[in-house]
Amino acid sequence: MSDAVSLIRRFVLESPPGEWAIKQLRGLLIGALKQGPVPQHVAFEMDGNRRYARNHRMETVEGHHRGFEALARIMEICYQAGVKTVTVYAFSIENFNRPKYEVEGLMQLAKVKLEQLTTYGDVLDRYGAAVRVIGQRELIRDDVLEVVDKAVARTRNNQKAFLNICFPYTSRAEITTAIKSTVAEYLAPPPPKNTPFSQTRIRQNILSRQLNGHDPLPTIRDNSPEKQPHIETGVDAEGQGDVDEGASSSTTLPPDSPPLRFRGGSDASSQLPNPETITVDTLDKHMYTADDPPLDLFVRTSGVERLSDFMLWQCHQDTQIFFLNCLWPDFDLHHFIWVLLEWQWRLKQSEREEGPARRRHGKPRKLAE
Amino acid sequence: MPINVRDIKAYRKDEKAQHALLTDEEKRRIIQNSLPAPIEQPSVSGLSTKERRSRLGVRKFMLNQLHLLIFALMHGIFSLYIRIRQACNLVRYQISSILYYHHATPQYIQRDVTGLSKKPRHLSAVLRSESRRVAVDLDRLIDETAELATWCACAEIPMVSVYEKTGILKKHMPRIYEATTQKLAFYYGGEHPTLAVSSPHKDSYSSPDMDSNMGHLKLHLISAQDGRESVVDLTRTLAEMSQKGKLSPQDISMELIDNELSEGIMPEPDLLILFGPNVQLSNYPPWQIRLTEIFCLNDNESFGYQVFLKALRNYASAQMRRGK
Repeated sequence: MSDAVSLIRRFVLESPPGEWAIKQLRGLLIGALKQGPVPQHVAFEMDGNRRYARNHRMETVEGHHRGFEALARIMEICYQAGVKTVTVYAFSIENFNRPKYEVEGLMQLAKVKLEQLTTYGDVLDRYGAAVRVIGQRELIRDDVLEVVDKAVARTRNNQKAFLNICFPYTSRAEITTAIKSTVAEYLAPPPPKNTPFSQTRIRQNILSRQLNGHDPLPTIRDNSPEKQPHIETGVDAEGQGDVDEGASSSTTLPPDSPPLRFRGGSDASSQLPNPETITVDTLDKHMYTADDPPLDLFVRTSGVERLSDFMLWQCHQDTQIFFLNCLWPDFDLHHFIWVLLEWQWRLKQSEREEGPARRRHGKPRKLAE
Repeated sequence: MPINVRDIKAYRKDEKAQHALLTDEEKRRIIQNSLPAPIEQPSVSGLSTKERRSRLGVRKFMLNQLHLLIFALMHGIFSLYIRIRQACNLVRYQISSILYYHHATPQYIQRDVTGLSKKPRHLSAVLRSESRRVAVDLDRLIDETAELATWCACAEIPMVSVYEKTGILKKHMPRIYEATTQKLAFYYGGEHPTLAVSSPHKDSYSSPDMDSNMGHLKLHLISAQDGRESVVDLTRTLAEMSQKGKLSPQDISMELIDNELSEGIMPEPDLLILFGPNVQLSNYPPWQIRLTEIFCLNDNESFGYQVFLKALRNYASAQMRRGK
């Protein structure tokens, strides 16, 4: 009985008119979803390939191939729905501990797919889609790295839709790299500021006026060219006066810093930028997802309810996290549509709740004005 | 990706044969068949496109209206579904809260917990506060913290951290200490586990050193400031140190940052319980939750013992593969 039912179902669904009807239905549903707010940045943690392979009695690598097909399906849906950036967790640094043949299979899959991407790059150009591979590059094998670089370079100029492939990636490594690069940036002196007014000329102006005897000599505490030889002797006294110079905002110099010599050009300050100016935005800019909009939606399949080192920094604020029970190769529109609907619904709800609160805060402000 | 079955089968056979079966043309045909139409940008060309668009405008308008109709329909169905789900879940949770009531007795809690194969050693929970009427909320928050701490003590979980976004709990540590000790005494009746209340960068309040043989509970209070801000603070310190030459950027490694954050703020929790209806981290410290099991009961707005128990049960049945 069930065989007959499934046979009939397959017959109907897989016939050309059936498939056309399904395609139109999918297009209709996605077009309808677009009428509401659509998440700008979605992250997928593609989990469950191996379990799928076990359930369907195929090789693990075959399971990963099915997973890739599911990825292509989802990307198409996201593109049609208007999602600007899709980030997927392809390979974790911890996955290197898997059996060697599986890692080999995954690397091979990556190579083949990325090569195909480069070959069919013109198709991607039509959609304005760019592929980026983010993660710890130094851990990738050389031949795979070559293919990766070629694929990324091929699609670099497209600006409309982005696919971030995290390969190999751990969120903690990303945060560590961001901190390292921030610290390295703050170790380098800032580039000289180009203002139209030259500080040397202003100083010389003041000096010449004073030397002409009209005004009493104030204590000029900048490093004017005549004062250079004095700087080498007294560190702290001279250092204190540099408050109005360049980017430095620390008023006292640490006692064991090397004696200040000629500070490289009077227009520039070779004083290092102040670490107090490091904010959340600074670190954000050093993350791999610096150019992407904030993460709106995070989906993890296969029923595991953990983040597993993916996008920890990006999803810790308002991102809605969904843990689904289906396995990744089975993930399709009929699962994703519920996620999107719920996302839209919760967004509307939170806006509704914020609305009265904002109005309540707005009124007193208006009275004050 | 090909949608019709024939193409899928052809693609998969071709893949198995290392992409040597289908010619380039066939591959392109398969691709073209299944790709969506590119989303057009409004063009800046002249009148001809405008004329063309006005003729197709009716069709587009009808399609747009159809989309709007379907959108309204979908959301109507979805709201209905959500309300039904919320109502069902509410009833279910009320029933389970009655069934699983702890009766303020440690023995009941221990009985519920003995069957579990593994227990978290560090449990964390996110408590929500409403932004208005903070004073009333503070009492409720302190009460909830005390209850949660007591359940953890009964379940023999050695450490519990409570995250509350605005940080109001951190300002009232003595009150929390008192409330929790009272609750512990109420539950246990006589001797109860010792308690230490702490929060990052502050000294902890702990019981005077009567070493009870009922165990020790550490209650840790954190807020949004211990999330991203603490990582930023650490970066500032590292930048200063490197500017003074005490450290080079190459020395910064994951272990260093992990050490600093674990000791200074909070070690990694094993289980995170969210007492809200959906999973939103609301500025919870990002570094520590990389392998934390996150538990959230769908549509649950209440704080109850049944949520705690379900979370523990869930944690016991979760598989930790660690990437392998």
